[in-house]
Amino acid sequence: MFKVLVIAESSGSRLTISTLEVCRVASELSMLLGGHWEMLVDHQTEEAAGAIAPRVSSFDLREIAYPGPEMLSDIVAQVTKAVNLVIMPATSTGKDVMGRLAQKLDAPLAQDCMGFEVVAGRPVFKRALYGGKVTANVELSGKLTLVSFRPRAHAPIQQSDEFVKANPCMVSIPELMTAVKLQPKASSERPDVTEASIVVSGGRGLQGPENWYVLEDLLDALGPNAALACSRPVSDENWRPHSEHVGQTGRAVAPDLYIAAGISGATQHVAGIVRSKCILAINKDPAAPIFKVADYGIVGDLFEVVPALAAAIRRGA
Amino acid sequence: MNIAVCIKQTADTESRPTLSADRSRVEEEGLVWIINPHDESAIEVAVRLRDERGGTVTLLALGPDRVESALRQGLAIGADFAVHLQCDAMPDDPKTVAGALAHIISTRDFDLVLTGEVAIDGAGAQVPQRLGVLLNWPCVTGVEELKVTSDGLTARHPVEQGDEIHICNLPAIIGINRRIGEPRYPSFRGIMKAKRKPIEKEAAVLEFAQLRIESLALPASRSDGKILTYEDGVAARVVALLREEAKVI
Ligand SMILES: Cc1cc2nc3c(=O)[nH]c(=O)nc-3n(C[C@H](O)[C@H](O)[C@H](O)COP(=O)(O)OP(=O)(O)OC[C@H]3O[C@@H](n4cnc5c(N)ncnc54)[C@H](O)[C@@H]3O)c2cc1C
Ligand SMILES: Nc1ncnc2c1ncn2[C@@H]1O[C@H](COP(=O)(O)O)[C@@H](O)[C@H]1O
Repeated sequence: MFKVLVIAESSGSRLTISTLEVCRVASELSMLLGGHWEMLVDHQTEEAAGAIAPRVSSFDLREIAYPGPEMLSDIVAQVTKAVNLVIMPATSTGKDVMGRLAQKLDAPLAQDCMGFEVVAGRPVFKRALYGGKVTANVELSGKLTLVSFRPRAHAPIQQSDEFVKANPCMVSIPELMTAVKLQPKASSERPDVTEASIVVSGGRGLQGPENWYVLEDLLDALGPNAALACSRPVSDENWRPHSEHVGQTGRAVAPDLYIAAGISGATQHVAGIVRSKCILAINKDPAAPIFKVADYGIVGDLFEVVPALAAAIRRGA
Repeated sequence: MNIAVCIKQTADTESRPTLSADRSRVEEEGLVWIINPHDESAIEVAVRLRDERGGTVTLLALGPDRVESALRQGLAIGADFAVHLQCDAMPDDPKTVAGALAHIISTRDFDLVLTGEVAIDGAGAQVPQRLGVLLNWPCVTGVEELKVTSDGLTARHPVEQGDEIHICNLPAIIGINRRIGEPRYPSFRGIMKAKRKPIEKEAAVLEFAQLRIESLALPASRSDGKILTYEDGVAARVVALLREEAKVI
């Protein structure tokens, strides 16, 4: 029987949205393959996981201030037994942990998958190559295989009516080669760019960090599910933090709506935004390449257009 | 300090890849080849460390004959030595690549091995982590800031919740992100010197691949967008389109 294991990510006692998304993948895949799925969580999220997965195992790292990728991959390797497929969200930490885990288990790994199919009784995963210019269907062979899934590629799973109690696993805390600590970023009410359903992004056309209030006002008009992003020169100039930089060397985003203001649309930027459901571009240059990938575009001065958009949204136009 | 930098030759980001008739491979003809941008920054980091602390920089590239031009480019940036791990075609499975790289690294004497965080063509995102496990060395990937002393290092890796700060001893594997800094342009002198440096060749030791590309496709390009020129009423019209047509707000 095909067994799928989801490695959960959490924030406090909550499972992250991208974890709920990979749970959907696990549940659909195991159904298609006539198998079952289960979830491995930190003890803090036992309750949340029990309302979702048909089986839950947990480990307890209460003693550890911040486990980090080396410890997590070791712990997960200790308890990953007799499963066919391990799935984790393709977040920074998820990809780091999965790369290590794959080698510890001597297994193949496809990172950052965006879809799956079952062909002739075997799972096939869809991935983006060449910055999204090519898509590939890949097959993994061997008893044990690993995949990570891109955030926002699937809808989060719903809670089930049943609640299962977690099965605690005994794990031994490994000797680590790296000492790791987390410097948390200033907490923000806003979602991370990779999780937001709307992303408002600014480029060099904004002219300086002091002008970001224009985008922030649009963000406020769009509501709590919107987040800010930027092009690389903007973060290189320290106008905005690097965590907001989107593109080939930055984060890849896939919101319902991506608003690009004062961004030319270089291929390296576009590589990080092509999976957006809808792109709205604002640029004063009608020949800017961003208009080639945009679903909607406004040719004009962003310092006029963006406030007008915010006003129209507030009016409920 | 002897540093190795693993470099992958990838297609230039401006290239428009096309597929072979059976859709099993990307046509290599017509592509412009570059050093994977993250790896190029890793070379820059290595060259600076060598200039500060002494030692050597050795480039390791696995792939078909074409990858020699990437090694030449890396030598021109300032690396001292280059090793070409030869094979017929670029492997699709990063596990195979990591195995071959670990094999050569374990037969030589390096204090630090730098890689890129991810190759921009295959987006494998796993070679540095695999090398860490295979060699049993500490590994930090996605590194945007690195401080190296004679026996240890501190590296910063941004994650969703903030910045991870890792401290470890050498030898270590570090997966570099381009955001650590742009590489220098090779000087004319660097290019001339690189032409004379020998490239060592060794047959790559390749394990059986477990990741197989079953088929490739070129995603449909986006349909033509509605592009309007700004004037009174345009903002309201676009907001209405976002609400009613695209249904995204
Ligand atoms: C290896 C490599 C990797 C890279 N990775 C990335 C990456 O991950 N992400 C990324 O973003 N870039 C990346 N780049 C850089 C990329 O090539 C572009 O240089 C960058 O995206 C341009 O940023 P921009 O659009 O903000 O600036 P510009 O190209 O300078 O464009 C500014 C735009 O603003 C418009 N504008 C100016 N004033 C106004 C106004 N008042 N109203 C409206 N519009 C206005 C202009 O018409 C112009 O189109 C990479 C480059 C390399 C070589
Ligand atoms: N064929 C190769 N030759 C040398 N180094 C490679 C090769 N493939 C990948 N690497 C290294 O591993 C890093 C990550 O690659 P990947 O895990 O495939 O995304 C790259 O940035 C390179 O530093």
